[in-house]
Amino acid sequence: MLECRNLSVSYGHHRALDNIAVHIAPGEIVVILGANGAGKSTLLQAIAGLVPASDGGQILLDGKSIKNLPPHLIVEAGLALVPEGRRIFGDLTVLENLVLGAYAERARPTEKDNLGRALTLFPRLAERRRQIARTMSGGEQQMVAIGRAMMSAPSILMLDEPSLGLSPILCTELFKALAEIRKTGAGILLVEQNARQGLAIADRGYLLENGRIVGEGSAVSLAGDPAVQKAYLGGVAGGTGRAWPLTPTKPSIAT
Amino acid sequence: MDILITGVLLGATYSLIAMGLTLQYGVARIMNLANGEMLVAGAFGAFWVFTTQKLSPFTSVAFVAPGAFVLNWLIYRFLLRPLVRRAKNRGMLEVDSILATFGMAFAFVGIMLLVFGGEYFTYSYLDEPVAIFGSPFGLNRVVACLVSVALCGLLYLGLNATRTGMALRAVAVDPAAAGLVAIDVPRMSTFAFALGGAVTAVGGIVLSTFLTMDASIGIVFTMKALIIVIMGGVGDVRGAIIASLILGLAETAVASLIDPGLTLAAAYLLFLLVLLFRPEGLFGRRQS
Repeated sequence: MLECRNLSVSYGHHRALDNIAVHIAPGEIVVILGANGAGKSTLLQAIAGLVPASDGGQILLDGKSIKNLPPHLIVEAGLALVPEGRRIFGDLTVLENLVLGAYAERARPTEKDNLGRALTLFPRLAERRRQIARTMSGGEQQMVAIGRAMMSAPSILMLDEPSLGLSPILCTELFKALAEIRKTGAGILLVEQNARQGLAIADRGYLLENGRIVGEGSAVSLAGDPAVQKAYLGGVAGGTGRAWPLTPTKPSIAT
Repeated sequence: MDILITGVLLGATYSLIAMGLTLQYGVARIMNLANGEMLVAGAFGAFWVFTTQKLSPFTSVAFVAPGAFVLNWLIYRFLLRPLVRRAKNRGMLEVDSILATFGMAFAFVGIMLLVFGGEYFTYSYLDEPVAIFGSPFGLNRVVACLVSVALCGLLYLGLNATRTGMALRAVAVDPAAAGLVAIDVPRMSTFAFALGGAVTAVGGIVLSTFLTMDASIGIVFTMKALIIVIMGGVGDVRGAIIASLILGLAETAVASLIDPGLTLAAAYLLFLLVLLFRPEGLFGRRQS
C-alpha cells in the first residue's frame, strides 16, 4: 500500500507538485493522466527519492515513511521505478541488468524465482540474456527495464511512460505484461501518454493538471467522462466507455 | 622484436596504474590528478622495505595496499564528497575534482619531500638478465609484468564475476539508475575511489622495481595514466589494457629508434592524436 498525503515538490520558486494525495493498494493498477509538464514524472521521481519533496507532506509505504530517503533505501523498502527513458545499464548484458535488479537485500532470497518469472514474462530476454543491453530494440530495452524493476520484488511498481516510442503491437504486449505482474500482488502506478490503453488496463485513475490532482475515479467512469475524452482521448464520442476505436490517437514510432 | 617485448613488458605494468585511475574516474567520477603521487608513495613503501628491512619489495603490498585504501577512502569521504554533493552535473564535478586534486597533488609532493627528502631513490632488485627469444631482458621487468598481469586479471574477474563488481560497473554506466536498483551509490563511489588508490599504490611498488623515482615525479605517471584512460575510453577496462600496451610500445619504439629523451614527447603526441581523432576512446561510443 502506497500512500501520498499533501505531497508537494518545488523547483526553486516553481511549485511542480501541489498537495498531491494518491494511494495504490496491492494488486491494483492506477494510472495518472496529464498533459506534458503537468508533473507526472515529478510525482514518480519524488516518490522514488530522485527529487526532494517539500516539508509537510507524507509518503508512506506499508505504513512506513519513505519520504526523502535515498533512492536505494526506497527500493529496499519495496518500491521500484521504471524511469522515463528506461535507464537500463547499456554496457552490461541483459542478464547482468536483471541480476542487478535483485541487488536489494530484500530481493536476494527470491532472486532465482523472480528471474524465472521475468524470463517467462518476457521470453525475448531469455533468448538474448548474453546480449549487450544497448544493442537491443526499444521494445526489448523496455522489457529489460521492467524485468529489472520486477527483480527487486517490489510491493509497488511505478512506470513512467513505458509505452513511449513503442509500436502499437509492442504496446499491447507491454500492457498484457503489466496485467500479469498485477497477479503477483504488486500494486502498479502508471504514468501514461497513451490514455486509452492506460485506462483500459487500470482500475482507477487520477487526472493531474499543473501540479494538482483535478479529478479521480474508476477507470471506467474516467473513460466515459466527456471532459476526459476531450482532453486525453482525442475527443472521440464514446458514452459506453468501450466504443472508441483501438488505434492510438498519438502517432507511435515503431522501434 | 626487442622493442615489441620491452614495449609489452612496460605496457602491462602501465595497465595496472591505468586500472587505478579507471576505477576512480570511471566509477567515482573523480578525475584524480593526485593519482601519480599515490603511486610514488607506494614506491617509497617498496624502497623502504627493500633497503631497511632487506625484504622483497613486493612484501610492502601488505601495508601499502591497505594504507592507500584507507587514505583514499578518507580523501573521498571528507575532501571530495562535498564536491560530489554540490555538483549539479557531471561536467561541474569534473572541473571541481580536477582543480581540487591538482591542488592535492602539490600538497602530497610537499609532504613527501618533507618525509622522504628530495633525492632520487632507486634500488637494485632482481637486476639480472633473462633470455626471451634469445635476447636478454631485465628479470625485474619480467616479474613486474607478470605481477601486473595477475593483478589486472584479478580485478577484471572481480569486476565481471562478482555482485559488487557488477554494481561498480552499473554505477559507471548510470549512477542515477544504479540507485534505482538499490545500489548505495555514494558508498560504492567511495569504495571505487579507495580501491583505485590502492591499485595505483601497488602499481607504484611494481614500477619501483625497475624505475628510478623521486618525490616530485608523480605528475609524469598521472599523465601516463590519463593518456591511457582517455585512449581506452572512460570506464572501459579492456580499452585501458590495450591502450597501455600501445603506450608501452610507442614509448619503447621512440626510445630505441629515435632518442630516449623523446619518450614523454611520444606519449603526449599519442595523447594529442587520440584527443583529435578519437576523443571518446578507442572502443568508446560517442555520448548519445
